[in-house]
Amino acid sequence: MRTLALTLTAGLATLAWTCAIAADQADQIIRGQYQAVLGDCAGCHTRPGGKPLAGGLPLETPFGALIPPNITPDSETGIGNWSEADFRNMMKTGIGHNGVRLYPAMPYPAYTRMTDQDISDLWAYLTTVDPISNKVEANQLPFPLNIRLSMWGWNLLNFSETPFTPDPSKPAEWNRGAYIVQGPGHCGTCHTPKSFLGADKDSVFLQGASLQGWFAPDITNNAQSGLGKWSEDDLIQYLKTGVNAHSIASGPMAEAVENSTSKMTDADLKAVAVYLKSLGSDAGAAQPAKPDQARMVAGEAIYRDNCSACHGGDGSGAGALFPALTGNSIIAQDNTETLARLVLAGSQAVHTEHARTTPAMPSLAWRLNDQQVADVLTYVRNSWGNAAPAVSSGDVAAVRKELTQ
Amino acid sequence: MSHRYPIRVNRRLFLSSVAMLTITAPAVSLARTISGALPWEPMTSDPPMQVVPGGWQFFTPQEAALVEAIVDRLIPHDDLSIGGKEAGCAVYIDRQLVGAFGTSSRLYTQGPFKPALPTQGYQGEANPAQRYRAGLAAIDAFLKQRDGKTFVELKPEDQDAFLTAMETGKIELPNGVKGPGFFGLMLQNTMEGFFADPVYGGNKDMVSWRMLGFPGARYDYRDHVAKHNQPYPQPPVSITGRPEWLGKGA
Repeated sequence: MRTLALTLTAGLATLAWTCAIAADQADQIIRGQYQAVLGDCAGCHTRPGGKPLAGGLPLETPFGALIPPNITPDSETGIGNWSEADFRNMMKTGIGHNGVRLYPAMPYPAYTRMTDQDISDLWAYLTTVDPISNKVEANQLPFPLNIRLSMWGWNLLNFSETPFTPDPSKPAEWNRGAYIVQGPGHCGTCHTPKSFLGADKDSVFLQGASLQGWFAPDITNNAQSGLGKWSEDDLIQYLKTGVNAHSIASGPMAEAVENSTSKMTDADLKAVAVYLKSLGSDAGAAQPAKPDQARMVAGEAIYRDNCSACHGGDGSGAGALFPALTGNSIIAQDNTETLARLVLAGSQAVHTEHARTTPAMPSLAWRLNDQQVADVLTYVRNSWGNAAPAVSSGDVAAVRKELTQ
Repeated sequence: MSHRYPIRVNRRLFLSSVAMLTITAPAVSLARTISGALPWEPMTSDPPMQVVPGGWQFFTPQEAALVEAIVDRLIPHDDLSIGGKEAGCAVYIDRQLVGAFGTSSRLYTQGPFKPALPTQGYQGEANPAQRYRAGLAAIDAFLKQRDGKTFVELKPEDQDAFLTAMETGKIELPNGVKGPGFFGLMLQNTMEGFFADPVYGGNKDMVSWRMLGFPGARYDYRDHVAKHNQPYPQPPVSITGRPEWLGKGA
């Protein structure tokens, strides 16, 4: 009888202990799933309509194409043979399983700032994803860049393993925002200008950069080109829904909103907003020259006939359906790649749980020639209080060439 | 009562219909399910083909001269506007006749072909391209036989008199061509060419729109809805634009 009681007690204790472990593990996996949202792993590693994390669409970098690999736990084609130490090392240094050097299209220069705990949680989650057999040849670069050892030199020049260090003089919320933006959120991967070697130029952190045929705008608090006219709530609303009174997300940011920011917690969005609004930059403060009057006249005629029906005669837009063109920072960026692209190719607004309508702008490439697109953009960039340099037809021609290739 | 219905719905027919529907229903219910964002592709548009003047694609040179003479009598040059020929009405008709309109490719064109009531429009077998070919030949043949001249060679008042007689059915055209019907077709197409968007070959420089004060291919007037008794300030615009877009002024 006593033996039985002891056995039972021991059994119950073991069971409770196992449950506690399981509960701990479940918590860790759920936290890791949220890390995957913050890091937007799916944005690159999941092909649209494809199996989750089984490999993505090619990334067209200025150096050549890279295909985001399969990061499901499949041991043949995924990361099933990796250890947690391999994974942490890769996130921190860009050197993966068996010493393979990653290209910085994988944003390890940002992920290196993540805490060990967050990386460990993320790993716990990744081990629970359905293993998918899908062989991906990630490296499509031309010689000699296709030699991964060349990244040794790149890292020497451009990379240092730096953990995130909180600024004790700032509130915890600001530090949380800084951590997300600089670390897992890797905002700088798109929004920070790159050196000729493709490394982030930290002196102009988040001041806008061109990639994949779009211009990721300045997201510092700059009044002209940045978020200066946005309130914290505007920014939170944009990240949560993809839409606010100033702008509607499209292009790569639409994907980032859909897969990542719209799924972040309200507290984290607030932290990101607090941090971004604290970043000053004085880029683009100079008043640009007034554009040629004839071009403004032509631009106004083109605007009246093609744009005003949705964006309004005075550029005021229509709420969440058609973005306002006044005080819209996309309009004022120095780089006009995104603007020319929107007019030529059209665009569809992001789809999120909170904004499901996905209004779309039609393609006007058939109706307007390069000069006309340049004139109407010049008009919009210099009307209703906007002031930005004139757009040349050559800039538009370059975007059209890329779009029609 | 029941003898009025050619098919009597009895129990057997009803049951077999239900059975048929049940069998075929899964096949027709394969509709697409769309979730998330609506399907959308960049750089997609379905603009009309720009008609470029120059050369004839359907008419022979002789037919073209005849049609140009007719459209210039239907819409003569006057102090309100240029005439139908200069406005491009014949070019418009020529391009329509080589397209879907000419071949009736988007219409049901099988029989039965029965005499139609006047309210029913044309119910014959020939498509518009065939009607033009036969009709224009009949006009030439008729005038050659009656006057020894072609339509183009007639004086304007004689041209008008002929067209009026044709419209009212006072003359009998050869080869069974119905004068009023063919006249109606030409008048309809000439008006289309004169008033349709210049992208289709007629309405040169938006001449008819300027004459009428029609603002063209616009679709939003919110800025002007509340401005009563004031003329709309914007000039007309075609699907292909307006001269002001070129930065040289109108």
